[in-house]
Formats: sequence, C-alpha cells, structure tokens
Amino acid sequence: MRTFTKLAVATVSGAWLALAATASFAETTMEKIVRTGQMTIAVQTQGPPVSFIDKDGKRTGLAIELAQLMADDMEVELVIQDYDWKGLIPALLSGKADFIAADMTPTAKRSMQVVFTEPVFFSETIAFAMKDSGYTSWQDLNVAGVSVGATQASSWADITRKKIPNAELKEFAGGTAQTVQALVSGRINAGVSDRGTIAGFMSSIDGLVMLDGTISSEPLGFAVRPDSLHLLAALNNYMGLIRSDGRLEEKLDYWWNSTNWEADHK
Amino acid sequence: MDWLQRIFNFRIVGQYWEVFAQGIFNTIWISAICLVLSLTFGIFVALARRSSNPFLWRPVAGYIQAIRSTPLLIQIYLIYYGLPAILPFGNFLDETQTGIIALTIHTTPYMGEIIRSGLESIDRGQVEGALSVGMTPRQTMTNVVLPQAVANVVPPLLGQTAVLIKDTSLLSIIAVFELMGAGLRMFSETVIATESYVTTAVCYLAIYAMMLVLSGMVQRKLGGSAWQQN
Repeated sequence: MRTFTKLAVATVSGAWLALAATASFAETTMEKIVRTGQMTIAVQTQGPPVSFIDKDGKRTGLAIELAQLMADDMEVELVIQDYDWKGLIPALLSGKADFIAADMTPTAKRSMQVVFTEPVFFSETIAFAMKDSGYTSWQDLNVAGVSVGATQASSWADITRKKIPNAELKEFAGGTAQTVQALVSGRINAGVSDRGTIAGFMSSIDGLVMLDGTISSEPLGFAVRPDSLHLLAALNNYMGLIRSDGRLEEKLDYWWNSTNWEADHK
Repeated sequence: MDWLQRIFNFRIVGQYWEVFAQGIFNTIWISAICLVLSLTFGIFVALARRSSNPFLWRPVAGYIQAIRSTPLLIQIYLIYYGLPAILPFGNFLDETQTGIIALTIHTTPYMGEIIRSGLESIDRGQVEGALSVGMTPRQTMTNVVLPQAVANVVPPLLGQTAVLIKDTSLLSIIAVFELMGAGLRMFSETVIATESYVTTAVCYLAIYAMMLVLSGMVQRKLGGSAWQQN
C-alpha cells in the first residue's frame, strides 16, 4: 500500500511538473508578467540622467521612472536588474529580463536580434571641450592633429568616424566619464557624447563646455525579445498613452530637456 | 553547412574580419614588445634580487611586492593620467606607448621572479666548473647559467606570457585598440554575443598556440640536445 501511494504521488507530481514545464514554455512574456506580478527590466547604470544611483543611494533616472510608471499602472512589481552595456542584450535574449530600459540606439543591425519600441525620446549627439580650447563648433574639430574621444564601440564613436573623419578618434572603454576624465587631464582635445549626459557633467566640472551644433539626432527606444509581441505592443501603446496625457512630456522636461532633476537627486 | 550557420553565424563574423585582423595584429606586436622588454628587465631584476648588496636587492624587492600587490587596472590608470602630471613630457607619449610602458612595468617583476627561480635551479657545480676552466664570473653567467636557467623556466614563462597577452585587453581603458576592442566593436554593432565573444576567444587561442610552438623552439635552442627528447 505504502509503495503504491509513493508511486501515485510520484506519477502525479511528475505529470504536474511536465505540464508546468510545457505551460511555461508556451507562455508569452506578458503572460509571465501577469502570472508572477513582476516585470523585470534590464538597465545600465551609466550615469545621469537616463539611469543612475542618486545621492540617497536610490536607483533612478528617466528610463527607470518611465518603466516604474508603467509598472504602477499595471499594478505589478518592477524588478530592476543592473547590467554593463555588454550584458544588456544577452540578459534580454536569455530571458533574465523582460525588456531593456536603456538609451539604446535602434540601428538596423541591432534590430536583426531584438525588437525596438517606437522611439521614446531623442538624444542629440554633441561635441564638448574645455572652455579655453578655442573651438566653437563641432566642425572645428574636423582637422588633422585634433584628437577626439568617445566611448569604445558606441554609436558616438561611430558618428565621430563618419562626421569628423579628419580628427584622430580615441575610443575609451567604460563610459562618458572616462572620456571626460581624458579631456580634463589633457589627453584629448575634445569628446563626443549626448547633450543630456554632458549637461550632467557640466555642473560638476569647471570649464567644460558644449560646442555649437548638433552632430546627429538619434531616436532612443526600449528593446524586447523578438517573440514578445504582446509586450512590445503594450509598451508602444503605453508610451502613446502617456504622450497624450502629458506624463511623458513631464518626465522628459524634468530629466532630459532640463537639469531640474539635479536639485532632487544630486 | 546550413546547420552550422544556424549555431554560429560565419557570414556575420566574416564581415568583421578586417577589424579582427587589425585587433590581432595590435595585440601581437604590443605583447611582443612587452615580452622582450619585460624579459630583459626581468633578468636584471632577478640578478639584483639575488645580490647581497642591500641597497640593490631591497629596492628591487619593494618594487616586486608593490607591483604584485596592486591591480594592473590601477597601474594603467596611474601611469596614463599620472605621468603627464609628474613629467613635463609625459603627454608626448601616446596611448600605445603608455600602454607598453605600463604593461612592461607590470610584467617585469613576474618574469624576474620566474627567472630567479631558474637561476637558483642551476647546480653550484656548473658555476664552479665554469670558473675552474677560466671563465670570468660574467662569462659564467651569460654562457653557462642564464641559458640553462631560462630553458628550465620556459613553461612558467610561457604561462606568464599568456597572461601578458590577455592583459593587453585592459589597455582598452586608455583607448588602445586591440583584439578585445575588435570583439566589442562587433558586439556593439551586431549585438550577437556568442559570435563576437567566441571569435575573440578563438583569436586569443590562436595567438597562444603560436606562442606554444615558438617557446618549444626557444627551449630547444637554449637547452641544447638535452631538451630534444622532451
């Protein structure tokens, strides 16, 4: 009798496990969020204003707040996982995160691996230098003998190669902080990054100026796995929703188009 | 070949062959210069460390411990950003030259300690024999002791060289383009992690395999016929 009970328990639990496994296999990302009540996002703590740790040690920034807004409206818990830039897409594709909330440029090649949402905001690529450098616009940098720094393997490095071909490009691993440090210590003549990031550095570093003109404008969106179509539509829909009710504008004005966030978070 | 293409996309890797070729080239020549410099300085460090003069061996021992106890990343940072502040001409050295200096300063103590262990492995009778046939102490060192000592420690030296080759990837923080940079460039553009990183790893493996063949040749040349059987 005892053996029979054991056998029955084993069979039932085995069958249940198998069923659960097939169920989760066929489950869409949105169904998983609904079932668990958790939405997991992959972010990159690269610095203000997109994603950073503020003065109270809290993780915040434009991308975080937009995802938080959506999670609050969905009444699910937002789980934030922090990755290095290189780790974002592997984390997404291996299922460790439901979507990437970072300022990633939706290039044609990247779109062959992941699906990007409609642009959530736009970043402007600009050049920066020290005040006493004598450069006024980014076109001034396009001469031989000038060295321009940018983050290694970034879209900024790519744009610099194309639009400022005569200058010597130096690619620093890490982030814009490394480029700014190289500029301050006189290792490069100028650097290339985006307006929001450099605005954040200008308040803390004396003599850092943005050069006139926008080198390029890039749409920035979130990214999902190719099979997460429901989530993709939900994200696009939600961005449309907060665009019309003014909440997106409010967040963009606070984080992206001004330095108002500095008063609360810096 | 279609199934293979599905697991590992050679088509996309092929689009980046020039980037990888440039990366491999830079990694090899930077490592080669650092290897020659650190082996040369390493011999002097080993000899100084074995000296009985405290004004010689104490500073050298301090240098060895200081380098071994601090991370290479910090040493590269300090040399790249600190050198221009200390020396008026520090800024004249470009990123690659600074990187070679930093890597050489970092690798020399390790090479020195390996060579020292090699020197200590040579039987005293060899030195006495060489001196008794009328060789000067310098001739004894360069013709008898050093060749055998280096041949004895080729395996650990090879290991340290492999570390050196991989350490060059840290130079990307000071804007030196090498093999790791090539892999990162491919990953950033295509966002396919497997192909980008596996290709980079295979390239490092190829460089190491080349080193393995070269080290066998060096060992046979230095060690003479006694090593031929090994």
